[in-house]
Amino acid sequence: MAIRWSWASPRIALIPALTVTAVAFLGAICWTIWISFTRSRRFPDYAINLAEWTRQYERLFRDNAWETALKNVLILAIGSALAIVFGFILAAMIEREKRGEGFFRTLFLYPLAVSFIVTGIVWRWMFNPDLGIQNFLRGLGWESANFNWLADPQTAMYGIILASIWHGLGFYMALMLAGLKSINSEIWSAARLDGVSFWRLYIEIIIPMLKFTFLTCAILLSLGVVKTYDIVLAMTGGGPGTSTWTPAYFVINSYAARGNIGYASSAAVMMLLMTAALFLPLVLATAWQARRREAMAQ
Amino acid sequence: MTMTAQTASLATPVSKSLRRKRIRGSSIAVLVFLAMWAAFVSIPLYVVIVTSFKTMDQVALGQVFALPTEWTFEPWRKAWSEVCAGMTCEGVSHGFWVSMKILFPSLLISIGISSVTGYALALWKIRWAGTFLFILFLCAFVPFQIIMIPLVVLISSLGIFGTIWAVAIVHSVLAMPLLTLIFRNFYKDVPEELINAAIMDCGSFWRIFFEIILPMSANIMIVVLILMITTVWNDYLIGLVFGGVGTQPMTVILANTVITSFGEVQYNVDMAAALLTAIPPLIVYFAVGKFFVQGITAGAIKG
Repeated sequence: MAIRWSWASPRIALIPALTVTAVAFLGAICWTIWISFTRSRRFPDYAINLAEWTRQYERLFRDNAWETALKNVLILAIGSALAIVFGFILAAMIEREKRGEGFFRTLFLYPLAVSFIVTGIVWRWMFNPDLGIQNFLRGLGWESANFNWLADPQTAMYGIILASIWHGLGFYMALMLAGLKSINSEIWSAARLDGVSFWRLYIEIIIPMLKFTFLTCAILLSLGVVKTYDIVLAMTGGGPGTSTWTPAYFVINSYAARGNIGYASSAAVMMLLMTAALFLPLVLATAWQARRREAMAQ
Repeated sequence: MTMTAQTASLATPVSKSLRRKRIRGSSIAVLVFLAMWAAFVSIPLYVVIVTSFKTMDQVALGQVFALPTEWTFEPWRKAWSEVCAGMTCEGVSHGFWVSMKILFPSLLISIGISSVTGYALALWKIRWAGTFLFILFLCAFVPFQIIMIPLVVLISSLGIFGTIWAVAIVHSVLAMPLLTLIFRNFYKDVPEELINAAIMDCGSFWRIFFEIILPMSANIMIVVLILMITTVWNDYLIGLVFGGVGTQPMTVILANTVITSFGEVQYNVDMAAALLTAIPPLIVYFAVGKFFVQGITAGAIKG
């Protein structure tokens, strides 16, 4: 009896997690994919008309707002990548300098504890043309200073990028710092003894050693970028016009403002495909890293 | 981690005198550069804090960096109990209590399910455990938008849409894959002899969990708690979609206050409201920063 019970309990304990995975993740994903092929509007309609089952997608690719969203996600990814670059530079400097390590680490990382909504509101205030940074710079005598980025469709995305970098910088710095600390300390002293120059040490030795950390950062960044929603809402509300829409914003807007479930689902499926395309390298890299670790252990 | 720190501190005294002399100049350059970034990171916080203590008359002068000439707590009081979010004017305090009420069930459900699942997958021989972990790994990265609409349908059919429970359950569902992976990665390093001995001794799944495993999980519990508190508190979208009138969390109230406010904009009150919303996770961060870093890196890498 006791043995049978110990066989059963771990399996019973798994039921909640299995149910959640099967219903709320796998089932829900299938539901969304199915709905994206239907003509559902405000309420789900499960009939698929085989003659025009790709209707929502055809509409989606003709939609200018969707095109803007795709363009913005690319701009945002490239712009926010600066957070990784600066994160690495800061981590390298903190690691080298040692003095004030705890202080700088704490300071650079605190924005991460602040929500995107608050981040967006704060930066919106900084960008305020009459009362914010612009007015301050003009007061200093720089009359042509233009810091009113959020009001112009051409520059609004850069404002969002700046706020995203402010928010994410410390995160990438922390990951890089962990990576740098895991490097064998003998490498530093060996390089110093051999007289390897500072730049060569970093470019030819340290960065190649951290390529897995860089890859992780890049993938986490792009996964985050695809999901960008809160900060856009708080800073520009998607505007001016539709110039700062992102795919995530597009989905919520189609669902909540337009009340079109089928259309929102097709955009959500495109988001899933983007995530999958970004995710594959991570899975492969993890497998590769695990194999390398095994090889090193032997 | 502690090992490398120790070896580093052992190694420095030898090379210190030598290094100090040579890289003085570059050392100053590095510190200046770090200080510039520190300024970039801290300026927004400074500006928000000083703005929240200014009178609206002073804010209108447009000197963002100036200290308040006349310190006033009025914006804070208004933000807490008077400011209007859409139709209702009861400040962000209502949202604060709603966020608190959402937080506790979310923590309880998500940590309860994930710790037991992680323990079962790590220490008990279960067929397909590897496959299940891989599926969880994939689920941890699924964008919320793809499962949002079906979850709305599902939660509505349960009849709890628009309640605090709806928001808490959706939070728990979304956090479950990642937390399970974190717990599983922690428990898989429990010595096998210990578990084998425990199985021989009593063999009960639940007794081993409550008497042996839980008491040794204090560290991972703190990490997971911090991860969850900041995620749930800072969330906006789930609260917006699943919360109804009167059950919207603080972030949603804040966004409504600042973004859709009518009439004259009170920037000082807006900034005080933003600070009030940001303070709880900031307290957590500054109180237990070390675990916070562990939490986010665990969430990032092991996920």
